[in-house]
Amino acid sequence: MRPWMPLVGVAALAAVAAAAVGGDRLLSSGHGSGPSGTVLEASIGRCGRGWSGPHAGPQTLLVRNSGSAIAEVMLVDRSGAVHGEIEGLGPGVTRPMRVTLGAGEYALRCSDDSSGDPRTGPLVRIAGGGPGGPAVRAVDGNELAGAVTSYWTKVTAGVGRLAGLTGTLRSAVASGDVGEARRAWLPAHLAYERLGAAYGTFGDFDDKINGRPDGLPGGVHDPDWTGFHRLEYGLWHGEGASSLGRVADRLDKDVRDLQADLPRQRIDPADLPLRAHEILEGTLRFELTGASDEGSGTSLQTAAANVEGTRLVLDALRPVLRDRYPALPQVDAWLDRLDAQLKGRSSLSDLSPPDRRRLNGTTGQALELLAPIAEIAAPRRTS
Amino acid sequence: MTDRRSFLRGALAAGVGGVAAASVSGAAASEASARPLRGFHGAHQAGIEEAPLPRTTVVSFDVIARNRAELTDLMRTITDRARVLTAGGVPDGAGISGPPTDSGMLGPEVPGGNLLVTVGVGASLFDGRFGLAARRPDRLTAMPTFPNDALDPAWCHGDLSLQLSARDEDTVLHALRDIARHTRGAAQIRWRMDGFVSPPRPSGTPRNLLGFRDGTANPAPADLGKLVWTPDGGSFLVVRLIRMLVEFWDRIGISEQEQLIGRARDSGAPLDGDREFDEPKFAADPIGKVIPLTSHIRLANPRTPQTAGNRILRRGFNYDRGVDAAGDLDLGLIFTCYQRDIPSQFEAVQHRLKDEPLVDYIRPFGGGYFLVLPGVRDAKDYLGRALLS
Repeated sequence: MRPWMPLVGVAALAAVAAAAVGGDRLLSSGHGSGPSGTVLEASIGRCGRGWSGPHAGPQTLLVRNSGSAIAEVMLVDRSGAVHGEIEGLGPGVTRPMRVTLGAGEYALRCSDDSSGDPRTGPLVRIAGGGPGGPAVRAVDGNELAGAVTSYWTKVTAGVGRLAGLTGTLRSAVASGDVGEARRAWLPAHLAYERLGAAYGTFGDFDDKINGRPDGLPGGVHDPDWTGFHRLEYGLWHGEGASSLGRVADRLDKDVRDLQADLPRQRIDPADLPLRAHEILEGTLRFELTGASDEGSGTSLQTAAANVEGTRLVLDALRPVLRDRYPALPQVDAWLDRLDAQLKGRSSLSDLSPPDRRRLNGTTGQALELLAPIAEIAAPRRTS
Repeated sequence: MTDRRSFLRGALAAGVGGVAAASVSGAAASEASARPLRGFHGAHQAGIEEAPLPRTTVVSFDVIARNRAELTDLMRTITDRARVLTAGGVPDGAGISGPPTDSGMLGPEVPGGNLLVTVGVGASLFDGRFGLAARRPDRLTAMPTFPNDALDPAWCHGDLSLQLSARDEDTVLHALRDIARHTRGAAQIRWRMDGFVSPPRPSGTPRNLLGFRDGTANPAPADLGKLVWTPDGGSFLVVRLIRMLVEFWDRIGISEQEQLIGRARDSGAPLDGDREFDEPKFAADPIGKVIPLTSHIRLANPRTPQTAGNRILRRGFNYDRGVDAAGDLDLGLIFTCYQRDIPSQFEAVQHRLKDEPLVDYIRPFGGGYFLVLPGVRDAKDYLGRALLS
């Protein structure tokens, strides 16, 4: 193991620290760190040609697309694990691939848009050296299909529950009882936040249902601002029942439109691994800064709902990740810590400065551990 | 009037030219061609006895680790990152196992030998959380409130101190991002202040934002053993965040400014001397006719045998953090000093400075006391090992 390693949690950090006993050295002196090393060809016809003097250790391989079509290139070992990847390598273009190779057999795998299956270049044997990697067996689209189906089934059920709650909310607002309306707002909003609608999961529906006034010329008074936060603003700023009634009606309608549209929506399998960290990235940015609070003081309940949404993604991906991501148990452990800190809390103002720092750090650590999932579980052409 | 304006224009133009020339020579002196700084390992940590570098950040962390084992992991991780960042090299590829291991701010190969890392512990680390209460160094306390202070709790104290210094700001920020990324679950930033050291204007000790040279009377390297280092190779650090009310300062006459400090603004010489490093002769001026008894240099360092042991290694960094609510520039000094013992050195000086006339122009609002840990001896050692094992 070497000092520059992806972060894999506190226990692993200790391992990294312990492994750094190599000391005060330059990390890759003399191992092709500059652009002057071996150049491997990466066209379909000449995949992997030109790899002269293969050797163990950290190194930068230069990969040149000698063909005429845009190429995808992976360096794989005999077990099929991917050590390095270059996406979208244009014809004539040379790009570096930073890898650490241990004893074993390696080959370049090349594919392009024009042909069918990827081609695997000649096997190159490397002897000696320390452990190589990190390397991960690629996930193909078929493996992800199961995860996507199971995820979408749960999301569909969640949207059903949401529609029931926005219906209740609509009636509560119509009754003119602000207390009742506020009490009905929270479970409906949390039902939505539990779905983990980060970064375009529901397309335009997310803006309508849960948008913030950011970017609207009129800000909180902009007529185009709709959804949960618009309703929150009104309910906690003394707005009259008649205008709020229209907001609640519109919200309920948008949720039902989403529900009706859901069977037609197709989640791109490539998006699901991204959600693993994106949901909580949004929590850190909007909830833990207080930016999304329009008066209800429920940012931390929203954060807890987002953790549930993250677990929904994680559970769907678990079969794919189990053999590929050694830090998966740590992901669960840090989400548990996060839950424990959010439990029974609602507003950011409930937190003392030390408690808030602990929550920020725990969220940050969970995110560092979730982020690799986006890379590991991204669908790739494997054969 | 016309003449004066044209003179000002000329001066302004010359000033701009001067800045351009300075930045060119600054670039030439920058990392690419500069001699590497010291390595990471040593009896003392880096960043104390070395000449201050132009860019720095002073960061206070609170530890959020849950127990002693996690705290030990944190100290090992900080050590490891500091070692790697100081040594430089090409960060490893992540392949498809995760996002890039490095932010890329310094290019594909991190230059080595360009960073000074200094890590300390605050008294709060020795509360009940980590079973360290019995190991609190005897003379390490929380920074008290001094009579002329206006302390903001959000800018005071901390479980750990981290100072990162380099010739260039990107090197400092790269290191801070890296260390924060690797320690999020164990420590969080409590406060942070970035600072800079001005180049000599035109020579001698760099000036602070009051326009005066700051740090002229530091002890000689040969005296650091008795004044700065603790027996195990650590040093006590005092950080004081001191706002300077520069608009007010700029509205007082030069004689008053110089008498408040005790030195000439242009040359840095004591008011009874001609050159910066001339020794002031306080004994020859017992009633303070030339250098007032209440001037800063006379109170801070009376140059008597009785006060020789109070001397501190003073490292000042200017800070600039925007504009305050009254429209004044928020400028000041990150005062740091190192010593063997805070009560008999910094605090003795600070008590002499109580109610000095200069206090009208400054506002200390933050900082803390820390014990800078002994240096990391070799590849197996880590910061705080003696404390934690």
